[in-house]
Amino acid sequence: MEAHRSTSDRTVLELFIDFDPAKLAGFSSAFPLTIRSLAVFSRPDSLTLIYVGTGGGKLILFSLTPSPSPAPPTIAGDNTNASSTAPIKFLRFATVSNRVIESINVLPEVERILLLSDGFLFLVDPLLLQAVRKLGFLKDVNAVTRRLVRPDLSTLDPFGDGAVTAEHSWSGQTLFKKFGGGIRLNGTASRASEVHRGEGNRCFLAAATGKRFVLIELLLPCTGDLGADYGGTSIFWKEIHGVEGVKTMSWVGDSIIVGTAEGYTLVSVVTGEGSLIFSLPESSPPLMKPLVRSCEVLLLVDNVGVISNALGYPVGGSLIFPYVPESIAEMHPYVIVAKDGRLDLYSTKTGKCLQSLSFAKSSVGPCIVVNDDQGNGEVVIIGTTYKAFCYRKVSHEEQIKDLLRKKYFKEALSLIEECHSEGEMTRDMLSFVHAQVGFLLLFELHFEEAVDHFMLSDSMDPSEIFPFIMRDPNRWSDLVPRKRYWGLHPPPVPLELLVDEGLMAIQRAMFLKKTGIDTAIDEDFVLNPPSRADLLQLAIINIIRYFHFCREKELPPLVMEGIDTLLMYLYRALDHVQDMEKLASSKNSCVVEELESLLDGSGHLRTLAFLYASKGMDSKACNIWRILARNYSTGLWKDPAASVECSGQLAAAAEASKLLVESSNQALVLEHVGWIADIDQECAIMVLTSEKRINQLSPEYVITSIDPKKIEILQRYLQWLIEDQKLEDMQFHTLYAVSLSKSAIKFIEMNLRQNSLGTKRLDEMSISDVENKNYLTYNVREKLQIFLQTSDLYDPEVVLKVIEGTELWLEKAILYRKMGLENLVLEILALKLEDCDAAEQYCAEIGRNDAYMQLLDMYLDPQDGKEPMFKAAVRLLHNHGESLDPLRVLEKLSPKMPLQLAADTVLRMLRARVHHHQQGQIVHNLSRAIHLDAQLARLEERSRNVQINEESVCDSCHARLGTKLFAMYPDDSIVCYKCYRRLGESTSARGHDFKQNPILKSGWLVSR
Amino acid sequence: MLNHKFDSVKQVLLGDVGTGKSSIVLRFVKGQFVEFQESTIGAAFFTRTLSMNDQTVKFEIWDTAGQERYHSLAPMYYRGAAAAIIAYDITNPATFTRAKKWVQELQAQGTAGIVMALAGNKADLLEARKVTAEEALAYAQENNLFFMETSAKAAINVNEIFHEIAKRLLQSQAPQQNTGGMILVEKAENQSKKASSCCS
Repeated sequence: MEAHRSTSDRTVLELFIDFDPAKLAGFSSAFPLTIRSLAVFSRPDSLTLIYVGTGGGKLILFSLTPSPSPAPPTIAGDNTNASSTAPIKFLRFATVSNRVIESINVLPEVERILLLSDGFLFLVDPLLLQAVRKLGFLKDVNAVTRRLVRPDLSTLDPFGDGAVTAEHSWSGQTLFKKFGGGIRLNGTASRASEVHRGEGNRCFLAAATGKRFVLIELLLPCTGDLGADYGGTSIFWKEIHGVEGVKTMSWVGDSIIVGTAEGYTLVSVVTGEGSLIFSLPESSPPLMKPLVRSCEVLLLVDNVGVISNALGYPVGGSLIFPYVPESIAEMHPYVIVAKDGRLDLYSTKTGKCLQSLSFAKSSVGPCIVVNDDQGNGEVVIIGTTYKAFCYRKVSHEEQIKDLLRKKYFKEALSLIEECHSEGEMTRDMLSFVHAQVGFLLLFELHFEEAVDHFMLSDSMDPSEIFPFIMRDPNRWSDLVPRKRYWGLHPPPVPLELLVDEGLMAIQRAMFLKKTGIDTAIDEDFVLNPPSRADLLQLAIINIIRYFHFCREKELPPLVMEGIDTLLMYLYRALDHVQDMEKLASSKNSCVVEELESLLDGSGHLRTLAFLYASKGMDSKACNIWRILARNYSTGLWKDPAASVECSGQLAAAAEASKLLVESSNQALVLEHVGWIADIDQECAIMVLTSEKRINQLSPEYVITSIDPKKIEILQRYLQWLIEDQKLEDMQFHTLYAVSLSKSAIKFIEMNLRQNSLGTKRLDEMSISDVENKNYLTYNVREKLQIFLQTSDLYDPEVVLKVIEGTELWLEKAILYRKMGLENLVLEILALKLEDCDAAEQYCAEIGRNDAYMQLLDMYLDPQDGKEPMFKAAVRLLHNHGESLDPLRVLEKLSPKMPLQLAADTVLRMLRARVHHHQQGQIVHNLSRAIHLDAQLARLEERSRNVQINEESVCDSCHARLGTKLFAMYPDDSIVCYKCYRRLGESTSARGHDFKQNPILKSGWLVSR
Repeated sequence: MLNHKFDSVKQVLLGDVGTGKSSIVLRFVKGQFVEFQESTIGAAFFTRTLSMNDQTVKFEIWDTAGQERYHSLAPMYYRGAAAAIIAYDITNPATFTRAKKWVQELQAQGTAGIVMALAGNKADLLEARKVTAEEALAYAQENNLFFMETSAKAAINVNEIFHEIAKRLLQSQAPQQNTGGMILVEKAENQSKKASSCCS
């Protein structure tokens, strides 16, 4: 979106003031001064000194009053009246020589200014208060440089022991003609004999003279009087063999990099060895600039800048300048090149040109650009022949602000990135800037990017977004921090308004574009105007994204409330029903009051119900579910997965049940269980029989509240009470039995009606028939029977009353049995149900012979005009004949009975008797055989021999048996007679209890 | 050392103007190709990290300018380089001749044991071929280089050539602990540190 702009749009430097040194210093215009060298020194006392070296050997000192910080950003155009406030003042000047001052070096460590003029070095104090002193031991100096040392890397003391090793190399020549005891130029005579250097602030210099280098140390001792000529500065020097024709040089760490017409050479001050870094092509003069902060050197080849480290290795790619610079200054992390009234600022990291400006016409003569690269580097001075221009570094903040004001977001962001990676921006500031950028982008309708930035800002309070969603005043109005950031964006407005205004701005921009005026509005928007709806949607989606992000963080409860509530608003705006419901049904901090009417009004009742539920407002939630369950036909809830209306009802019932299952509020449960039951009985049952609630419901209330028509619910509830809750209240057992009975009766009646024309009589209808017809109802009868049989707690009489007139014979039988009415039970079993097995079984249970007799009587004389049941009677005789009198059977036989029929009965009876008799005989004989076998086995057992010797002892008392009487148990244990008497017959000496655990030997089995 | 999990390799690209050095690097580092790649001025610097089995090799690539005027800069870039790619254009025999000169120069003045790769670039322009692969291969074998015909445009053998370099570097580094002349950037600094600490 910003492709049309060049990269050099930044304002890193802004013109502060320009001045004519000669005029300002009050020199006569008859003797024009030319600026030949410049230096800036930002003193720790925040006074900035500007040194101007002239062609005539004068050094003029100006002071630059630092801009009152924090200064309102000076706009470049305002500089016309800048001089009227006179931030620059002439202080004084000194005449150094009558030749050009070629270079000015500020040596802050020793509080000295080093000048190179006429091949000599001069020292002067920073304020030019003292006389200029010439370093007489040097002449024909071509170039001078101070040493740069990276604080994080250890380097050698060039005057220290390292020098000794250096003597061996360098083609066998003696490197140091003078070492250590250099000529002392200190004016204080008392120190004249000093040989070893003391402690203090020091600074190293290297000067190239002819074929040699002189390494100079300036020392400002920390103690001692400072009244001497040089303020106590001591000077030591030594020489090493160097390179001829040095035009420029830099001393970085342990290497001196020199530039000659041939190329750049690296000379090690440790070994004295020199090696070519690279040679220069023809007509490319050497030019270099030491980069103080990184301790590297920028080497120029034509218009190409190559950065070399102290070892001569390249660092990064080349910087390509638009021209061969006349002068270079460093303003970390930038380099500034100047030529012909033009100034360009490059990033050393990216190699990109960040700012280009021209400060004068191209015919101004050679330019000199300097910067206090050792100090804060805030001020850049550019000198042309007669004029100097002061530029000030715009603070990163101001730069970013400026870019943002111009809506150059990309540039602003890369600057932010750069500042952060350089460690020049605190985390807080970074957060602040991200938030600011976010807001700007928001107003630019770049919602996605805006939110990305919000997310990068740690200090951004989510509540700052609230006013964009909800109009003020609202519940959270007081919560919103009054942050204005840099005041680059308007105050927050609701999103709709924001989008409308943005769209208007786009339209304005389109109109202006037609008239040929460029605006800062995004080109894409102008070319393809977005629609309002799309923008709003995008805005909401992204704010939702931001809120999602915020929800992960720990925030004060009020903010969380705001986030969740507004999130719901936003979901609703997009009609994201699923998200709404998800939010409402999960753990959330939504404020119900804020959303109630809103959701109700828009018909998002499900969401509202979930919300109520999540806030523990079960009653309200259930009410909604009830409404929903009733109104599903109105189509309020559209779920593609369950288009069938009833499934919505089911869902409502299920949701309500979920709440009620855990609710101990009896009234609430009973209020809602009714409509739930209407929709889904299972749900209702689940609610009633839930064991999740803390306080159980009162069964009485529940039972009375259950719709009498919903028998199944009642039954299931009672069943649960009785079976699961083990309730032993007779009332409920009876109620359950009665209810089951009624159901069974109902079923039978229904069946009867169905089979009204059928031939089957009910009593002929076997249970299995019923089963086939209706499993559920069968289940009821079976349930009833099982319950009647197993429970002892119901009142059989009450139940009996219910089923008295019905065909539930088996049930009646069970009840009579409970009541001990044997006769009636038998009657039913034998005559009504004709279940001979059951009847006989019952007789067996009663266990008395007369029961069989009674049964037989019933078979033979069923009364009510029924035919005697001979078959059953014979069968009974057959099975239990021993306890019955056959004569009585015969007596019962009607005299009118056809012989054929009677014969059968008589025959069967007689056969049964004979069979019985014979069976008895067989059993008798078999028993005798077993008896005989047993006798034999006993005999064998008793006739066993046992050998006793002298060693044999009683197994019990361990006394020698000798000739004593003894006994042997079946387990072969032997005891003396005494012990035998004591132990008895049934327990052996080994503890074997034969009564409890009889021994069976294989020979005793009755198989022979 | 490359025994580390992570190490950097100083690598230089040399060759005549217009042989496609920058395109090779651009293809390797960014996977891109620009039809009208501007002529490199000075040198451009790129990095890319390659994973080789369990080791990572960070290439610090200096893409030098092919123009005659900047030839003198080359020694700065190949000094201490562990690997070099010498590129020529298969459609231009003069560039092959220039490549041979680069090989000679590296043999004479480059790091001892430098891994050299000869890249016959523009291999997609088969119809315009002037330098045969056999000729280049024979030369490469003679001079102990490894040879590949590459095409930055068609992305042929570009990644392969760097992988091969990484492989050879790892191989040559593995057995011997001290590599003598072959200086990796990191190691060079270590050495200087060590030297200063023991003498001061």
